[in-house]
Amino acid sequence: SMPDAMPLPGVGEELKQAKEIEDAEKYSFMATVTKAPKKQIQFADDMQEFTKFPTKTGRRSLSRSISQSSTDSYSSAASYTDSSDDEVSPREKQQTNSKGSSNFCVKNIKQAEFGRREIEIAEQDMSALISLRKRAQGEKPLAGAKIVGCTHITAQTAVLIETLCALGAQCRWSACNIYSTQNEVAAALAEAGVAVFAWKGESEDDFWWCIDRCVNMDGWQANMILDDGGDLTHWVYKKYPNVFKKIRGIVEESVTGVHRLYQLSKAGKLCVPAMNVNDSVTKQKFDNLYCCRESILDGLKRTTDVMFGGKQVVVCGYGEVGKGCCAALKALGAIVYITEIDPICALQACMDGFRVVKLNEVIRQVDVVITCTGNKNVVTREHLDRMKNSCIVCNMGHSNTEIDVTSLRTPELTWERVRSQVDHVIWPDGKRVVLLAEGRLLNLSCSTVPTFVLSITATTQALALIELYNAPEGRYKQDVYLLPKKMDEYVASLHLPSFDAHLTELTDDQAKYLGLNKNGPFKPNYYRY
Amino acid sequence: SVQVVSAAAAAKVPEVELKDLSPSEAEPQLGLSAAAVGAMVPPAGGGDPEAPAPAPAAERPPAPGPGSGPTAALSPAAGKVPQASAMKRSDPHHQHQRHRDGGEALVSPDGTVTEAPRTVKKQIQFADQKQEFNKRPTKIGRRSLSRSISQSSTDSYSSAASYTDSSDDETSPRDKQQKNSKGSSDFCVKNIKQAEFGRREIEIAEQEMPALMALRKRAQGEKPLAGAKIVGCTHITAQTAVLMETLGALGAQCRWAACNIYSTLNEVAAALAESGFPVFAWKGESEDDFWWCIDRCVNVEGWQPNMILDDGGDLTHWIYKKYPNMFKKIKGIVEESVTGVHRLYQLSKAGKLCVPAMNVNDSVTKQKFDNLYCCRESILDGLKRTTDMMFGGKQVVVCGYGEVGKGCCAALKAMGSIVYVTEIDPICALQACMDGFRLVKLNEVIRQVDIVITCTGNKNVVTREHLDRMKNSCIVCNMGHSNTEIDVASLRTPELTWERVRSQVDHVIWPDGKRIVLLAEGRLLNLSCSTVPTFVLSITATTQALALIELYNAPEGRYKQDVYLLPKKMDEYVASLHLPTFDAHLTELTDEQAKYLGLNKNGPFKPNYYRY
Repeated sequence: SMPDAMPLPGVGEELKQAKEIEDAEKYSFMATVTKAPKKQIQFADDMQEFTKFPTKTGRRSLSRSISQSSTDSYSSAASYTDSSDDEVSPREKQQTNSKGSSNFCVKNIKQAEFGRREIEIAEQDMSALISLRKRAQGEKPLAGAKIVGCTHITAQTAVLIETLCALGAQCRWSACNIYSTQNEVAAALAEAGVAVFAWKGESEDDFWWCIDRCVNMDGWQANMILDDGGDLTHWVYKKYPNVFKKIRGIVEESVTGVHRLYQLSKAGKLCVPAMNVNDSVTKQKFDNLYCCRESILDGLKRTTDVMFGGKQVVVCGYGEVGKGCCAALKALGAIVYITEIDPICALQACMDGFRVVKLNEVIRQVDVVITCTGNKNVVTREHLDRMKNSCIVCNMGHSNTEIDVTSLRTPELTWERVRSQVDHVIWPDGKRVVLLAEGRLLNLSCSTVPTFVLSITATTQALALIELYNAPEGRYKQDVYLLPKKMDEYVASLHLPSFDAHLTELTDDQAKYLGLNKNGPFKPNYYRY
Repeated sequence: SVQVVSAAAAAKVPEVELKDLSPSEAEPQLGLSAAAVGAMVPPAGGGDPEAPAPAPAAERPPAPGPGSGPTAALSPAAGKVPQASAMKRSDPHHQHQRHRDGGEALVSPDGTVTEAPRTVKKQIQFADQKQEFNKRPTKIGRRSLSRSISQSSTDSYSSAASYTDSSDDETSPRDKQQKNSKGSSDFCVKNIKQAEFGRREIEIAEQEMPALMALRKRAQGEKPLAGAKIVGCTHITAQTAVLMETLGALGAQCRWAACNIYSTLNEVAAALAESGFPVFAWKGESEDDFWWCIDRCVNVEGWQPNMILDDGGDLTHWIYKKYPNMFKKIKGIVEESVTGVHRLYQLSKAGKLCVPAMNVNDSVTKQKFDNLYCCRESILDGLKRTTDMMFGGKQVVVCGYGEVGKGCCAALKAMGSIVYVTEIDPICALQACMDGFRLVKLNEVIRQVDIVITCTGNKNVVTREHLDRMKNSCIVCNMGHSNTEIDVASLRTPELTWERVRSQVDHVIWPDGKRIVLLAEGRLLNLSCSTVPTFVLSITATTQALALIELYNAPEGRYKQDVYLLPKKMDEYVASLHLPTFDAHLTELTDEQAKYLGLNKNGPFKPNYYRY
């Protein structure tokens, strides 16, 4: 359902930052994160609660076990998802949860217990949301909110949904991708009373049917939309335009969805405020820089077991993703070359100690080629022809256009699948090129996205919903906004306890000297971080 | 006193809707204003960045230890400082205020940043440049080259006595009759006979300013500044001279004055005068001289400027005050410093700005070099020069994780130090965590650290209480933009003994014998105890030149009477002109790729909100 090429936001497109919250105490739960008046979440205690879990091990091994188990839950999905093994479409089944409700549609409600375990594991690395839940549940900033959501349905999303419920919202949910639903998690949510309509392996008809079931409900009308990709928004526009009369706002997470919103807005067709959470600082840094810094190594190791020390690597593109990849590879002793088109980023690469080259200047000598430009045909057949034997080629960019893989589908080349996601492409002279994930995104295909990164996203979404839902009439017009900087800072601050990080507070005197509010926002909108 | 001044400054802030000062970021402490001075001034003279900080200097108790070493000779200059008080130039408070206010400037009321239109018709290719640069005679390895430059530019100051003061006349340049070899006397410098020395300095500077040289060659056929009459007021150093001669090569006529009474390199001014530039500047001007020089630049029979290049806003101010009619012919103002930019935004807000102005201080490339890259190197250099310490295994706390803090931390981590960070902004704090630094509050680690570095832009980050608890021989220094971060005044109490052990290095001794090593009395370490590399100044100068070209050639109506940021495309071009230095080969988009991305092949490549 997602277009392949996600258009970049147009150059020069103005992103409007939502107005700052002048009143620091607007949401009392935001008052203090690291300082501790009474409601303060004591991090020390939290840790104990978490460590009570049966799977308790050191933090490191814990997170390892999480990523394993979430991989397991996918790869071994057969074991308990398909063990039910019925070919009956969930739409045909009559299921009720233990409270007698049948206001949901999932693969198998009986998997709820497994799903609950997954959710509990996810909660370990999503302490920000749990903390938000505790802080705000007295206040219930979402009381009365009726949220219809369309996102990937995973354990992490479940933590978000249950947080929204704990803050007072009613939720109805469907999946934004026909493959990504974790059936057992959907079951656990249904069991807990959330109206979920999703299963793994929906048909396209199922996909829209699920969305429709979320929206089209007697006696219940949504007043908030949480979307990922814009399909839900699109559906509501097409089928139930009147629903927008009650909608207070749309929160959109993906690049695609945001782009669609900007187009709507440009065409003057956006009739409610929308919040672009994709471009919030914290989320951007984690989705790109920090996540890719780790997953490039993980993805390459899992697929090829390559050793990085002394290897010559060329990274195409020095944006956030490229910066992350380069930092990680350099740290392991690889010799890293960069290609860039933007002179400012190129100069940054120089100053960070990387050689800036054109691809064809180094293509014969490198051991690994990594693309992260967002561009198309960055690695062409001509480059591939000139690579040395056993050169590894992979893509960390957003779509599968960067490596011209179709050019390799010619009769003289032999393809050999040596592992899942690993192809050897063999030239007539015996030269092999190792192509990973057929040029698709390496970190999604061959690695996992850490729960901590998803926690950043989910927290950002939750705060955007709170902000839009509680905004006084007129603060937000029918336009697309960025998350207010103060909220962005709050997302970050909720994640600091994970690092046992102790944030310094301004004294009154210092705050006055700097002309800042002690509780932020601390930076002007144009600040680059 | 310090407090009074800062309070006043703080009082101003709210009205400014102060969004801008990044507390954790000691931003442009490098604004060329102070930077060039620091760069060119030898260690003791480095005091100069603070020197123009009149009020505080005046009231500060005299330094306990007498200056020592060769630099002591310059101490008297510091003593003179208060006289310069009228000069607003680099007053630290002023400076800090400008930072904050200057930033506000950027944010228009609706929170968007004004940026100049991006279309630039003049395309400049840069493929074949580097070869030309390499032809230079003095070519040696880049590393040693830059080292030799920084040495030689230091020399030119410390040995200034040798050829600047050898003339040793006490006659004011204003009273002298001097002519250059072509018979012109349209200038006023200390001693025209020093021209040859100055020319050598300029040639050395040209080595590390390949971008300007490239621009000169590329654009001199086209002469994009033909007909431009530029009046300038900046530091007059070898680097500025390269800029000025570039402007000349591009077709402009220039008249120049100094923006700081101490920072002029006399021999460079002489060299410029010799090659036909009307320069009015010398080191050690009086305040009256200062304005006289500016006036001589502006007030000429038969010559009226149509462009202003200003650093600090004094020139602009003078013209507003004395020759308001002149603005009828002025096509634009290019302003480089935080202070000057702030003044322009105030004018603009008051509706008094009657020509377009360009704020080059906040361009991406310049900001990155002034803060991140420059400080990443100068923190190590400054500490080494003053203390000769070794960094491996040392515990260091860096207060503030803005651009300056990020640079300091990266350098120290690379040396094997154990680095702690303090922050007030949760986003920057999270960045520190993800970069592998422990985020702490200062009092949690103050007993155990070997070095404390401040770069917050804030005041009293290190208090007397912290200082009391530090361990013996802890080093305390400031990389932030002003001298407010460490509460140095609190150390001026009778029970503590101050001992000046080297220039810029004080030992403060507690009754129990504990010593703390305070560097540069809490002033900016990188200006006081290190140098600003020519390469960084090259970025600034190139940015200025391009801003002048853009404003001068802009079609009527593109720029209104407002303050603009340098168009992103120009910003990218500044970067691209510096790439050949690294032998960096930029990739070009194919037509097909450009279409796919929806970009022009020649840029701009990023939207305005892109964070780099």
